[in-house]
Amino acid sequence: MIRRPIPRWLVVLLGILGVFSLLAVYGGLSYRQSLVNEKQKVIPGLQAFGDGVTRMTAPQGSEETPKPSMLVTDLRATYWRLFLGTGLGVVLSVVVGIAMGAYRWIAAPLAPIISFLAKIPPTAMLPIYFVLVGSDQTMFTTMVALGIFFTMAQSVYQSIVNDVKDEAIDKAYTLGASDPEIVYEVIWKQVLPPILDNIRLQIGPAMIFLLAAEMLVGAEGMGYRIRMESRVLNMSIVYIYLCILGFTGLIGDWCLLWLRKKLCPWYDR
Amino acid sequence: MHALEIRNLSHWYGTRRILNKVNLTIAPGQIVALVGPSGCGKSTLLRAILGTDPPSEGEVLAEGRLVTEPNRDVGIVYQNYSLYEFLSAEENVAFGLKLDKTSLISRFIALPAYLRKRREHLQMARDFLKKVGLEAAMGHYPAELSGGMRQRVAIAQAFILQPKIVLLDEPFGALDEATREDLQLMLLRFYQENLKAKQRGERPQYTIIIVTHELNEAIYVADRVIGLSRFHTEGSQGAMVVYDRPCPVFHPDDPKDLSKFVEQREELRSAVFDPNYVKHHSKYVSFWDELSNDALAVAAMNSR
Repeated sequence: MIRRPIPRWLVVLLGILGVFSLLAVYGGLSYRQSLVNEKQKVIPGLQAFGDGVTRMTAPQGSEETPKPSMLVTDLRATYWRLFLGTGLGVVLSVVVGIAMGAYRWIAAPLAPIISFLAKIPPTAMLPIYFVLVGSDQTMFTTMVALGIFFTMAQSVYQSIVNDVKDEAIDKAYTLGASDPEIVYEVIWKQVLPPILDNIRLQIGPAMIFLLAAEMLVGAEGMGYRIRMESRVLNMSIVYIYLCILGFTGLIGDWCLLWLRKKLCPWYDR
Repeated sequence: MHALEIRNLSHWYGTRRILNKVNLTIAPGQIVALVGPSGCGKSTLLRAILGTDPPSEGEVLAEGRLVTEPNRDVGIVYQNYSLYEFLSAEENVAFGLKLDKTSLISRFIALPAYLRKRREHLQMARDFLKKVGLEAAMGHYPAELSGGMRQRVAIAQAFILQPKIVLLDEPFGALDEATREDLQLMLLRFYQENLKAKQRGERPQYTIIIVTHELNEAIYVADRVIGLSRFHTEGSQGAMVVYDRPCPVFHPDDPKDLSKFVEQREELRSAVFDPNYVKHHSKYVSFWDELSNDALAVAAMNSR
């Protein structure tokens, strides 16, 4: 029957089975490819992955001037850009979204512009960012921040319009609230869970924008490395980088879910 | 001083006049039921009293102060959207105390003092919740409460600040019959507290306007019924107060004697709801005259 509940142990077992099935399929394909070409790098086996990890983690530079490994350099560059860009985008969109939701004279001029700009794919805006902010660190941060800003500001604004009823605001006034108190004590607290959910949803797009920019103009970072290594078919490194990206998204997602449960215990009840 | 005074209030939506020269005075401690046919302007009048939709003409005064926007002098309990989902029952009740007695900045820069006050406010909220029979649900969020419990919390939330007047906008409309009766009894208990306060020479705490579709409920919980309607000789100009009479006061411990309602209910039906019964708008507007006649009768009895 559709949606019939299944026991928890079965959920866990099926989850583990799914992961092992994927690994088994990959192993089978890799083995089959190795029979055709012993030195194949398209679907690398365990040995190739081991070599890839060694290469990624080996310190760079000379003995006199040692430099961090390839992996550390790329992770540091990408995570910093992602963190800075997402943080900036989130803060800006929350401030603008709440201002639009609270004051109609702010929403009236901004809503049409934001909904228009939200429809343009941020990757298509790359040439504009090159022209306006160059191709250094600022460009990556701007790309990620603006990439998520328009969509998220629109979502925050819509959450306020839908979730914060006029009655809730009028009632707060009858309880003695001032305008700033209504923004903080009513609007902010009511829309915090959708904001956290929105941030979760924006992690994926933020990584897409950043990786696309790094692939095009980066000199370091995960996008840059994936492009360079895939050119020479070093797929072991590419796959490991993809796994790291996947785990980054998952961990970000879990952290925000945990935060929502801690900050908004009422939301799931 | 009157708890509420409405002077020559008229309201238009575009060219359509909804309310026409509504005049009303409500004394502290009265529980007034407001009834009328659908679309007669009850909600418009309520919004004007609340201050969210000021009248096109005329004025509303809460204890002498002009109402131009929602403020803590006039409380409100809606049929829906009554509580803040992100606050527990006790936090909802203490919300007004927090907003009214502390400032946003002091909550951050004078945290220890704020936390002391917060504890006091939560204690006051718990005491009020006990009074409305909700001691078991203090820590629960609104989503975990039944409709009746939510309305009790909403009523406690509105009254804890002791506003000059509280508007109940069809507060029991979505509740089942048994819960509805429980809440009606709660209002009767509030009325008894008002009487005791008057006897002690204090200002009564509960002054209420309750909007309801149920005529029995109106007569049962209120000490005065006001009917708003277009069915009068000047009806084309908008709705006016066409009925304003006292109604019997019930004690919460007395059985609900429906026979006491029948005559007044029928009078209300014809005076307020019957489109074919067109009369002068002041025909049934006699509350203050009846009250002064009663007072004269009591004075005459005492002088004998």
